[in-house]
Amino acid sequence: MTGVIEIEGLRKTFHSVRRGRRVAVDGFDLLVEAGQVHGFLGPNGSGKTTTLRALLGLVRADDGRMTVLGASAPERLPQVAGRVGAIVESPQFFGNFTAYRTLRLLALAGGVPVSRVDEVLAQVGLHDRGHERVKGYSLGMKQRLAVASALLKRPELLILDEPANGLDPAGIREMRDLMRSLAANGVTVLVSSHILAEIQLICDHVTIISRGRRVAAGRVDEVLAGFDRDECLVRVDDLPRAEELLLAAGLTVTGHADHLVVSGVPDPATVSRTLGEQGVWVRELTPLRPDLESVFLELTNAPAQPGVPRQVDGSAPHHEPGTGRMIDLDTRGVDA
Amino acid sequence: MNLIRAELERLGARRFVQLMVVLLVLAFGVTAATTLASSHTPTAVELAEAQRQVASDRRAMELEHDRCLARDRGDVPRTADDFSYLPDDCSQLDPALREYQPVTADYLSGVFTFTRQAMPLLYFLVAFLMLFGFLVGASYIGADLNSGGVVNLLLWRPRRLTVLGAKLGTLLGAVLGLSLLASAAYLVTFWVIAQIAGYPGPTNAAFWASLGAVWGRGLVLVLLVTAGGFAIATIGRHTSAALGAVAAYLVLWELGGRIVLQILEVARHDQLMLVSYIGAWLAGEMSFWDNTPCPPYGSCTGNYTLTWGPALTVLLLLTSGLTAAAFAMFRRRDLT
Repeated sequence: MTGVIEIEGLRKTFHSVRRGRRVAVDGFDLLVEAGQVHGFLGPNGSGKTTTLRALLGLVRADDGRMTVLGASAPERLPQVAGRVGAIVESPQFFGNFTAYRTLRLLALAGGVPVSRVDEVLAQVGLHDRGHERVKGYSLGMKQRLAVASALLKRPELLILDEPANGLDPAGIREMRDLMRSLAANGVTVLVSSHILAEIQLICDHVTIISRGRRVAAGRVDEVLAGFDRDECLVRVDDLPRAEELLLAAGLTVTGHADHLVVSGVPDPATVSRTLGEQGVWVRELTPLRPDLESVFLELTNAPAQPGVPRQVDGSAPHHEPGTGRMIDLDTRGVDA
Repeated sequence: MNLIRAELERLGARRFVQLMVVLLVLAFGVTAATTLASSHTPTAVELAEAQRQVASDRRAMELEHDRCLARDRGDVPRTADDFSYLPDDCSQLDPALREYQPVTADYLSGVFTFTRQAMPLLYFLVAFLMLFGFLVGASYIGADLNSGGVVNLLLWRPRRLTVLGAKLGTLLGAVLGLSLLASAAYLVTFWVIAQIAGYPGPTNAAFWASLGAVWGRGLVLVLLVTAGGFAIATIGRHTSAALGAVAAYLVLWELGGRIVLQILEVARHDQLMLVSYIGAWLAGEMSFWDNTPCPPYGSCTGNYTLTWGPALTVLLLLTSGLTAAAFAMFRRRDLT
């Protein structure tokens, strides 16, 4: 595989005298190709931040292979660090420094022209408040400052861990627009977030991690399609009669108080035709398409399975029905 | 070079550093002002009277020595009314060999005499600079580790040892520069006060050499303490780790340990105390008395001395050990 970010078999276990041994990442794989806006999803404690920290050399991996812009990480990270902008988890800054000074010091340390500081402050909407002390900033403003620090180097690769944390709705929209504009200019973006609707709007590719392992990866639409059960919601006046007719037609039907859910119907017209031919008139027929949130919850909130100890985030690996294989749309289920 | 420049700016911009510099200037100003206010230039009459008293003291010392030598020669038999003590060894009374020599300043009341006061003033300054170096060294890295400054920097310069080395080097360079400036300004100020509102005293090469030696050793000590504070805070990941470690050492070992060693009658236990080596290094040598290892009878005085050579060895070993441990731990540590 060739990608801007490649991770294979990443493993990391934390050892603590008080908390004992904790597996944070357990054989995780990730591939981000050039030009992608790649969403990185997972519940709290699933290993997202540990993965990003390991990739950026802040945490030592126990095992696995990682490359960033073709350089093996963390050994050769210094060679490409100037082309990678990153924020990891809730970034913290020295409270008594102004945003301008914070960025100026980073620019000095990284050999970036100081004139760039004003540009990125304007880019993230902090230009007018850049000379205020960071300790007076709201969480959202600190987040903007963090993004500004990542943009300072004009990165080819941008790694953003929860960039929308603390942002108000307008800020989230600005962040979305910023990422789109960066992507349009050829910047590869890896963004982790809990705001799944945002990921669905921004990202073209997605990787979902649970309990330290990849449970889904691929194009967003393909991942969603993998969970499309061809369902549709049906409302009619005579629910029992409709259910009977649909069952007789060989369809799978789940009854609810005021509607039916019919599964295995690639073409909703089948439902209206089946019912209409028998004089049952459809009042509502809505195809049920999975969104990223439902897929995410399904992949990560499954109950623990017998014999499989619950780890990290408490979720269980997702298995394709009947195959015992994890969903992987890049490789079509190679994770046994 | 850019990294050092950035670190220097970061260090100078820290409020704690600025506060410590203000305290240094304040302490300096208060000491200088009170000295200036309480001193006056001795009149010719005061000087003549003081010099007359010095001459008188010297003459009395010589007479006593002569009397002792005469006793040894048997020229002057001891009379019943001669109660003055004469030691068995007359060299103890030899004015040329005596540690204390009467000087004019001894008889100048309310007059600041540079040659008399320079050394205690220098000790005070070194003590302040040691405190300054330790606190600034510990808080510089401690606050950076806590505020995320180190992580931010490592995202830009993913070379841990270079980053930590640049921080330590910058810190030591800055502390040395400030110490050189402060101590030079300090001594020059008091020299000027002595010239305009006091008495410079008889300065000769030996005086300047002695003052210079304490100054040089003091600066080395300041650097060692600064590096120690930095190293302990790095190991403990927090400024308070350094403060706690020093407080614990002082209370548990220098105080508690000393009491226990005295109860156990451990011979020459001052040799086991770090404070003894600090004192020996700064003063050039330090004398202690402990007759525990002396036999009940004999000529054993119980006196022993720590000189600057072994003291420097102990201080260097301790500081380099702490610094090496700090670098080794920082190199491998997970920055979470």
